[in-house]
Amino acid sequence: MSAIELQGVSKIWGETTAVNNVSFSIDQGTFAVLLGPSGCGKSTSLRMISGLEEISKGSLFIGGEDATIASPADRNLSMVFQNYALFPHLNVEENILFGLKVRNTPKQLQKERLKKVAEQVGLEQLLDRKPAQLSGGQRQRVALARAIIAENPICLMDEPLSNLDAKLRHIMRVEIRALQQRLGMTVIYVTHDQAEAMSMADKVILMCDGKVEQEGTPEELYNKPATTFAAAFIGTPPMNLIDPVACGLDKKISQNQQDNFLIGIRPEDIVLSNENGLKAELISADYLGADTVVTAKIQDQEILVRTPGKVTITKPTSTRLQWPVKSVHVFDKSTGKRNDNIEVLPI
Amino acid sequence: MIINLQGRKFSISLESSAAYFLAFLWVLPLIYALWAAFHPAEYATRFELFAPLTLDNFATAWEQAPFARYFLNTFLLVTSILLVQFVLCTLAAYSFARFEFPGKSIAFGLVLIQLMIMPEVLIVENYTTMSNLGLVDSILAIGLPYMASAFGIFLLRQTFKTIPHELEDAAKIEGCSLWQILWKVYVPLARPTYVAFGLVSISYHWNNFLWPLVITNSVTTRPLTVGLAIFGAPESGVDWSIITAGTLLAVAPLLVAFLLFQRQFVQSFMHAGIK
Repeated sequence: MSAIELQGVSKIWGETTAVNNVSFSIDQGTFAVLLGPSGCGKSTSLRMISGLEEISKGSLFIGGEDATIASPADRNLSMVFQNYALFPHLNVEENILFGLKVRNTPKQLQKERLKKVAEQVGLEQLLDRKPAQLSGGQRQRVALARAIIAENPICLMDEPLSNLDAKLRHIMRVEIRALQQRLGMTVIYVTHDQAEAMSMADKVILMCDGKVEQEGTPEELYNKPATTFAAAFIGTPPMNLIDPVACGLDKKISQNQQDNFLIGIRPEDIVLSNENGLKAELISADYLGADTVVTAKIQDQEILVRTPGKVTITKPTSTRLQWPVKSVHVFDKSTGKRNDNIEVLPI
Repeated sequence: MIINLQGRKFSISLESSAAYFLAFLWVLPLIYALWAAFHPAEYATRFELFAPLTLDNFATAWEQAPFARYFLNTFLLVTSILLVQFVLCTLAAYSFARFEFPGKSIAFGLVLIQLMIMPEVLIVENYTTMSNLGLVDSILAIGLPYMASAFGIFLLRQTFKTIPHELEDAAKIEGCSLWQILWKVYVPLARPTYVAFGLVSISYHWNNFLWPLVITNSVTTRPLTVGLAIFGAPESGVDWSIITAGTLLAVAPLLVAFLLFQRQFVQSFMHAGIK
């Protein structure tokens, strides 16, 4: 039985459809990430699951029960908000216990849970501070503590790390993931950061324009992007999408229907070579430390190449590009869908 | 440059001396009241540095008029207005700030209109209403026209609107009902506004004179201001020492409160700049 299931869920505001006929299900204990660019409907979907936003069409099941019109409080879930949503007039302890107090949980139980949760998120020393006296990371921990103290089976997180600096974000990522696994929670996590999604998720649900573009494990999304959107969204730098005709590659890709396809190659799969391969011109280089992202040009098409070590390019230099056959992805030019039926020839 | 700087210095000193002058003018009656109240009657209009001090004037004033009753009346008036205002304004402001209902903008427009009308304009109308309700000459009648304060509604609505939606969302997820959201999130977060509004309301109604004068005519209902005016009226004979002593008695609580809450007072009036 899945913990959460959406069946044809839509959100319509007057003329605009923010979420369009979205269906997916998430198993118990899964860390699921709703990923997509801003405005793709991922936050709206999350708010519909939480009950803060009404569902215009479709139905929602939580733990197998119809929760389409249930009130947020009756859905047995907790939520972590982007700006933490801590109550400024309450101290850390009162913030964490807020929900238990509202639900009139016995004092003894409140105390026990508080002790346990404060330990889990490392807040024991800060219980009597006000949110204003905490750093961003500590506030995030309080928000987390408030979410897990109710011991709800489901926790929703709406871009919880977007206000933290890069280093702290990495630490919190690891902690949230560890906490989720220790408690066996089902988490739905909204983010626009694909690196965050790839590193944390059991399952990624990639959204675009209010629709689900692709769902699967991070490996599936990376290795077998279902559409050109998925291909271009996952990975830094994103996958190169090349029009074979414009590059003079048409004869080299396949024997049939050449002008209807785009090919996609990840920058890290391309190798710079002096002997054989496609002729290209190197334009510029972005040094990242461990490796360098080089911009190459084949006729008018820009292609990014990720190559180890440091490469310096002062003036356009000609070179050759190579890639293994198995790393070529083929997409339908008109629909943007992946097409695995085309046989790719080695260059 | 130097001339410019000197010119600026000159204009600043001119401004501050004007401010000192105005402050002096303002405080002069109070200084006079202090002088007259603490000295025997023969020194009331005569300045002599070592004139004997006395508290007799206060004792006489306290005996001559039922100040204790007036204090009680004013206290009942001010607290009842404030309590009802808090309840009504909170509820109205909450619905204006966070709910959609038909006629919302018209209703809010009416509230704003009330904000622009001086209550004194409505004295006759209000008197008719009170008379129809059979409330003439009661403390409730003094307070009733002010209880649904447009100013309070407006002020609280603006404050509620600044409270992030996320907090309300969080409270909903945690299981709060609408009442609990109001009570546990909005009201505590708007506390500075309640303090500001409370101070404005108390000082306004403590000092209010015209309407209580019109609507009351007995000792058991008169607030301090009206009692004091009757006490100091020429027909009861003008004895400056006793009148000033009575006046000081009347303003003392507010004066003490002002000195104690000076900062909040100034902030609240700045906060409530539209008053």
